[in-house]
Amino acid sequence: MNASYITRRLIYGIPLILGVTFISFLLMVYFGPDKTYELLGKNPTAEQIDEVRHSLGYDQPFLLRYGGYLKELLTLDLGLSDSSGRPVSAILSQSLPISLALVLPGFVLGNLFGLILGLMAAWYRGKWLDKLVMSASVVGMSVSFVVIIIGLQILLCTPYGLDLFPVRGWQVHDPGSYLAYVTVPTMALVMVTLGYNTRFYRAIMADEIDREYVRTLHAYGAAPSEILFKHVLKNSLIPVLTRIMFSIPFVLISGSLLLESYFGIPGIGLVTFEAITSGDQPILKAVVGLTGVLFVLALMINDMLYNVVDPRISKS
Amino acid sequence: MRQNAWGRLKSDRYGMGGLIIVAVFAAIAVCVWSGLLGQSWSEVSGERWESAGLAHWFGTNLLGQDILQRTLFGTATAFEVGLIVTIMSTILGTTMGALAGWYSHGWPDEIILWLTGVLDSIPFYLFAAAIAFALQGKPWAMHLAMIITFWTTTARIIRGEVMRLKQREYVEAARAIGLPGLTTVFRHVLPNTYHILLVQATIVFVAAINTEVILSFLGLGIQDGVSWGLMLAESSLEVLSGHFGNFIAAGTSLFVLLMGFNLLADALQDALDTRGTSA
Amino acid sequence: MSTPALEVKDLSVWTETDAGRSQLVDGISLSINAGAATGLVGESGCGKSMTALAIMGLLETSGIKAKSAGILINGTDISALTRVQKRKVLGRDIAMIFQQPGNALDPVFTLGQQISAVCRRHLGGNKKHSRQTMLAALEAVGFEHPEEIAASYPFQLSGGMQQLAMIAMATVCKPAVLIADEPTTALDSMTRGLILQQLKRLQSQNQTAILLISHDLNVVRHSCNDVIVMYCGRLLEKADCKSLFSGPRHPYSAGLLSCIPKILATRPPPISAIPGQVPAANDLPPGCHFAPRCSRAEPQCLQSVPGLEPKHGAQVACFRPLS
Repeated sequence: MNASYITRRLIYGIPLILGVTFISFLLMVYFGPDKTYELLGKNPTAEQIDEVRHSLGYDQPFLLRYGGYLKELLTLDLGLSDSSGRPVSAILSQSLPISLALVLPGFVLGNLFGLILGLMAAWYRGKWLDKLVMSASVVGMSVSFVVIIIGLQILLCTPYGLDLFPVRGWQVHDPGSYLAYVTVPTMALVMVTLGYNTRFYRAIMADEIDREYVRTLHAYGAAPSEILFKHVLKNSLIPVLTRIMFSIPFVLISGSLLLESYFGIPGIGLVTFEAITSGDQPILKAVVGLTGVLFVLALMINDMLYNVVDPRISKS
Repeated sequence: MRQNAWGRLKSDRYGMGGLIIVAVFAAIAVCVWSGLLGQSWSEVSGERWESAGLAHWFGTNLLGQDILQRTLFGTATAFEVGLIVTIMSTILGTTMGALAGWYSHGWPDEIILWLTGVLDSIPFYLFAAAIAFALQGKPWAMHLAMIITFWTTTARIIRGEVMRLKQREYVEAARAIGLPGLTTVFRHVLPNTYHILLVQATIVFVAAINTEVILSFLGLGIQDGVSWGLMLAESSLEVLSGHFGNFIAAGTSLFVLLMGFNLLADALQDALDTRGTSA
Repeated sequence: MSTPALEVKDLSVWTETDAGRSQLVDGISLSINAGAATGLVGESGCGKSMTALAIMGLLETSGIKAKSAGILINGTDISALTRVQKRKVLGRDIAMIFQQPGNALDPVFTLGQQISAVCRRHLGGNKKHSRQTMLAALEAVGFEHPEEIAASYPFQLSGGMQQLAMIAMATVCKPAVLIADEPTTALDSMTRGLILQQLKRLQSQNQTAILLISHDLNVVRHSCNDVIVMYCGRLLEKADCKSLFSGPRHPYSAGLLSCIPKILATRPPPISAIPGQVPAANDLPPGCHFAPRCSRAEPQCLQSVPGLEPKHGAQVACFRPLS
């Protein structure tokens, strides 16, 4: 992997980034709410209207405004929130760590358990363990995220259930309180992703286990644990990694959106949700643009990881 | 191949179970659309939060509306969203995928691939909100948002299939006798992709229903009528004070329908996709 | 007579599906002495590979059923071992090499890593020790720069080199028995010679007993001491190479030999083929499996199964063998 390879990947990502930012700009800024009349009083004169429009930049040509948006994103000069007046970058840098702390455990556990269950189901393919895991997966996939969240809340946070955990909020100041607030959301995240993950990983592992090198390993006396965890796992690393890389943005944004708005956790999802409902443009512009960019970065990192992981790709 | 596939499907008990479930729900939706069921979903016909009883089989909600009626109407909403999104995104995805696959590595392909990459990079719920904004809250904003983002998977699959089938002899033959490219695609290549499309369609249907539930739950979904998503949104506050009617009715219906679809999708995949992966 | 290195007693392999029971191998027995090479020949699908896999006990996870009255390596019955015990034997006392070495090797580990793993598993020792053993094994199969090969991944080697590396893996523990399943079928004729040379070296240097499975009669003719002819799961003839190739006893063997095209300076004779087709494994004819296609068949052949009888220095399963 050398400099020219990296540059090529970056260049390839540029049209994608441009596309994402363009669409975000189109939707958020161009079609978004017109702020002119908010800044004016009653019965504005034509001149006053023009003045305000000029200060907001509405009279500039489309491409110039788009260029301005790009500049804002690049320099992270994201302006001030409409609703609170605080700088957007400050809001984002405060809420992002919270979202990560919220979503990471569930994400890691959901994939870890999915991997293990998928491996087991693939190894014992056709036997009762496989059928059990697969049935449970279908059931898991059929329960809506919303139902899981509400259901868990009833079961664990209310007097109608076990009443072990706080209903909402995020008063985290030590590991104990972190556990109290993160457990139910983590359980919800694991439950909703486990079904999908297990099926996906099972399919991949089943394909690998059918390969001839597994038969060779058996023929030379390798134990099942060595076959599965050293060889099969390493060979299936590419699709596994791809899956993980590409589900990070999804889980981070969408997962946190629902979890935070429901449990009242002040992470980036809640910030985004409130921006949506109150029409807080600066925040929305920033979030959409940045997540798009992040996704493209994830794509590129994923490609680079391929090279590290699979010798066939790096050497040829 | 299709006769064999139907035979295999029929012998898959779970698949047939799924099919029956979906059929029952579909029948309910049709009844609602034709005015036979669920018509009094907005009528305030009882006391608030009545528990299940003879007058109201599932009880009533906060406003005294009959939960059973609302659940039945929600079925129609789910199917309406599912059908519109599935059909439109499948058409769009198939067309784009066919173009991209047929002209693979040419400029139509590059553009379409770029477009799918861009659309996949945008976080969906933000996109849906933005479209709702741009359309000033028109009721079909949600459908549009889903169609615009769901076609990409179908397109990728079709593109792969078209590229694969392009190399087959009968395509060469069609080209040799001078059939214009696009005609060949639509008349000879696409008919061989029906089985994959059908499996993908059921998956998209499930995704559409799920997405509607979450969007409605967040307040970004349907504006008039009622859906299970709205009922669940109502229930999120009610359950804290012990009123589970909405939650159980909407949650269970949703679960059963999704389960039916998932079983059906699995069975279809096993029966139709001869290259099958999972089983 | 000393104990044979490999002795297989009454081995059967079958599957049971909705389409009925398919008998893939039907009660065959064979034995190979140390330092000897026996070729197992037959058409594709006659059960040769199944035999090899069943001997190694590799069929257990696949749903194909196998049983035998004993599979003995130097007198020890490995068929009665538990799974854990068998893992100690596979690769150490008996080893196998496969037809497509490129697919049979793990693509994401180097040859060195894979062979050293086998060393460590069966011979123990630390990393340095197993590395030395591994390099010695690579050198023994003819690699001039074993360190380069050890650092390479399978896809970086040619088919012949991959097979040589597989032989190194198979012999690093100096097993008593080596099963080679179509080892040269996927290779060109020059590399074929190298591989067969290695097998001969193993016979003479390590006294390894070799079971060479092939549908290529020429390969067997030049590399083996004895030949076994298999058809539809049964053994039809067992003889030493010279006798079989100069004078086959079983009509099927004769048919196989006549199928080999002979390249002559003058106008070559037409290639003869055995009429008819190989029956499906779940629809085997009663009596001698070959009878429906045999030009010498009698009514008796269609009804009862001839056993292997010693006749004229070979063992033949036929009621009317050639003489």
